[in-house]
Amino acid sequence: MIFEAAQSLLAPSALLAVFIGTVAGIIVGGMPGLTATMAVALLIPVTYALHPLTGLVLMGGVYCGAMYGGSIPAILLRTPGTPAAVATAMEGYPLTQQGRGGLALKVSVISSFVGGTFSTLVLLLTAPLLAIFALKFGPPEYFLLAILGLVGIVSLAEEGKLLKALISGVLGLAIAVIGTDPISGNLRYTMGMRELFDGVSFMPALIGMFSITEMLKLTGASHIVHETVDVKSIKREPMPKGLGKFIGLGSCVGTLVGILPGEGATIAAFISYNLARQHSKNRRLFGKGNPEGIAAAESGNNGCVGGSLVPTLTLGIPGNSVAAALLGGLLIHGMIPGPELFTKHGVITYGFILSMFLANLIFLGIGLFFAPYFARISLIPTSLLIPGVCLFSALGSYAMDGNIFDVYVMLGFAVLALVLEKGGFSLGALILGLILGPIAETGFAQGLIIGHGSLGVFFTRGPCQILWAVIVLLLVPPALQFYRNHVRQPIPAAD
Amino acid sequence: MLKRIIPVALAICLAAPLAAHAEYPEGPVTIIVPSKAGGSTDATARLFILSAKKFWPGAEFVVKNVGGSGGQKGFEEIAAAKPDGQTIGMVFTTQVVAHIVSKRARYTLDSFHVMGNLNDDPEIVVVPPESPYKTLADFAKAAKGKSMTVAVNGIGSDDFIAAKKFEENAGVDFNLMPTKGSTEQKAAVLGAHVDASFMNLSQMFAQHKAGQARIIAILTKKRSTLLPDVPTGIEQGYPVEMTATRGFVVSAKVPAKIIKKLDDLFLKVQNDPGFIAAAEKDNQFLLPMTGPEYLKYLKDLQVETKRYYDKSPW
Repeated sequence: MIFEAAQSLLAPSALLAVFIGTVAGIIVGGMPGLTATMAVALLIPVTYALHPLTGLVLMGGVYCGAMYGGSIPAILLRTPGTPAAVATAMEGYPLTQQGRGGLALKVSVISSFVGGTFSTLVLLLTAPLLAIFALKFGPPEYFLLAILGLVGIVSLAEEGKLLKALISGVLGLAIAVIGTDPISGNLRYTMGMRELFDGVSFMPALIGMFSITEMLKLTGASHIVHETVDVKSIKREPMPKGLGKFIGLGSCVGTLVGILPGEGATIAAFISYNLARQHSKNRRLFGKGNPEGIAAAESGNNGCVGGSLVPTLTLGIPGNSVAAALLGGLLIHGMIPGPELFTKHGVITYGFILSMFLANLIFLGIGLFFAPYFARISLIPTSLLIPGVCLFSALGSYAMDGNIFDVYVMLGFAVLALVLEKGGFSLGALILGLILGPIAETGFAQGLIIGHGSLGVFFTRGPCQILWAVIVLLLVPPALQFYRNHVRQPIPAAD
Repeated sequence: MLKRIIPVALAICLAAPLAAHAEYPEGPVTIIVPSKAGGSTDATARLFILSAKKFWPGAEFVVKNVGGSGGQKGFEEIAAAKPDGQTIGMVFTTQVVAHIVSKRARYTLDSFHVMGNLNDDPEIVVVPPESPYKTLADFAKAAKGKSMTVAVNGIGSDDFIAAKKFEENAGVDFNLMPTKGSTEQKAAVLGAHVDASFMNLSQMFAQHKAGQARIIAILTKKRSTLLPDVPTGIEQGYPVEMTATRGFVVSAKVPAKIIKKLDDLFLKVQNDPGFIAAAEKDNQFLLPMTGPEYLKYLKDLQVETKRYYDKSPW
């Protein structure tokens, strides 16, 4: 059946659809404000008129391309095209400032390719088995997964700034409280504004915190690239050694997190980024442009693509919002998720999965070929760059929901971020709190309901215990470090 | 000569914009969908557009997804839109009336002109595949002995009201677990994290057919043609009925002339064989209701929902 599927994929119309989808995906991913979810939902009525396989590979291409595309502006302009590219921006942009944007782009595209291909392979070979794993995760496990992510704040903290990082995390959690209470449905801190009913819009806040803040800082400089660097030539560097470990880590974490229904690429990218940060020998380089961070984050978010399709195709439970839109595309062709998808509709389903390998190859080719040209964006004088980026940022914030309020959110967060950065607070920690707060809250409340009010539910379940073990393991090295720094060497008395 | 030309020219100049103004729709018509892209309400809107373009050639329609807060954000936005007919929107039950009843909404049913209903999604009771409960009677009997954890979509949703109705009818008390939507409910049932879930047919029939979950009752008057083996609540002695309807509304302040045009378009789409075929292929269950019919349905539902709210406010 797989052979038959490969044959039907080789039809010119299908190949063209994969190519168009992937290229469109890179563009959609690269523009802040345009999302893969939006693009796939828009394509659904279009695919109605197409052959099911052609329609599906088109949407699959968009999904794969968008996940990679988000990293390009993240690296070059510190403007994450998708929320999943925030971690990439934290490492990639400093490299661009050092005149090494080309290298950052290369690392990003190769990691994206490996992560995407690995997770598609997992989807192809072990989808039904892994679906059982996904089902083991209930609300208590989601609560602990969020805690596991929040533990990352400790590793995100720069030396001596742990307290400030924790405060930033709490600030993020506090902002996440705004909106509708997930359990009672009551409105919290919305101040009667309709725009806040669904909480603070995430993407405009991100664009403000990263892109606008950076543009403000750039106003005194002539170029993004530091002036000490030879601006005339962007070096072509070979891939740094030792990245394989981090790409492997990211691919596994991304695929696993992707399989969990409802979890997204942003969390996958952050968790694998934090793990890499903890296990790297070059820990001190993190935050100042470490290719290892890009490798982990990008393989992590692209690993989500294949992973998120595991529960979507086998159980009809979408792994994230893009997969949910894709599910709509399957249903419109009468293809109902479940075992039948792999038997009765096998040719189309396997054709779709195989097309994702192709989509990954296409963006690898495009990414590698264009990396040196993209990198030249960092040489544009700031007098042209700043207005351009600000314009697109404002437009992107508006376009997400067609809401002018979101532009104010962007500006507000830009000011907030500027103040926080000057004060030495961690933006990464704030974002982790913002993303994980709602997941932790819902998981905790639902877990308590399942446990009929008893906290025991968070300790007695098997997967919970494993997650607790991981959380403790992650906290041991920072705790030891803290002990060494503060207890064994008494703080010199201030005189 | 000139004296004659000037008034004529003036008349033309003044009449031209007037004539242009009468040409509704002026620019794209925005359809507010109070849920996320890719969901079933979203799919209904997009199929509506495909068909509507046939009847209004040249007109453009844009979907605006306003998800979250149980649809409230979207409903409010439809009610508050500029009343020029360029913005119409979708409503779904029971949320649209539940927000009014719980005094959270700033709109009332009077804020809308109801165009009509297109489809519905019957309420079902579903249990994990290895669950010992095969019928509603099994389930209700067991619920008397222990507190059953039951997943519903958010508070005030059709699932929530249906569960409340069942509690009253069977004389039981559930341990209700509100979720953010069908994805969480599906995962909770398939993973056996809850004892049962009240949800909609379209969300679970594939899993039922594949043996990954078991639907023990459908809460409508008649069995579904999709799952003829699943008995109704009425057949099993629990006369609880609930379904999620999806219709179209527009701000009540829109001029009557434009409302007439919109109502006419809605009826044409509702009866368009192309739309019916596409909706059926997408496993949507058609439940055509005209504007007055659907308004009466919504008003009755509001009264009923209020009764449950007054008994135990949420």
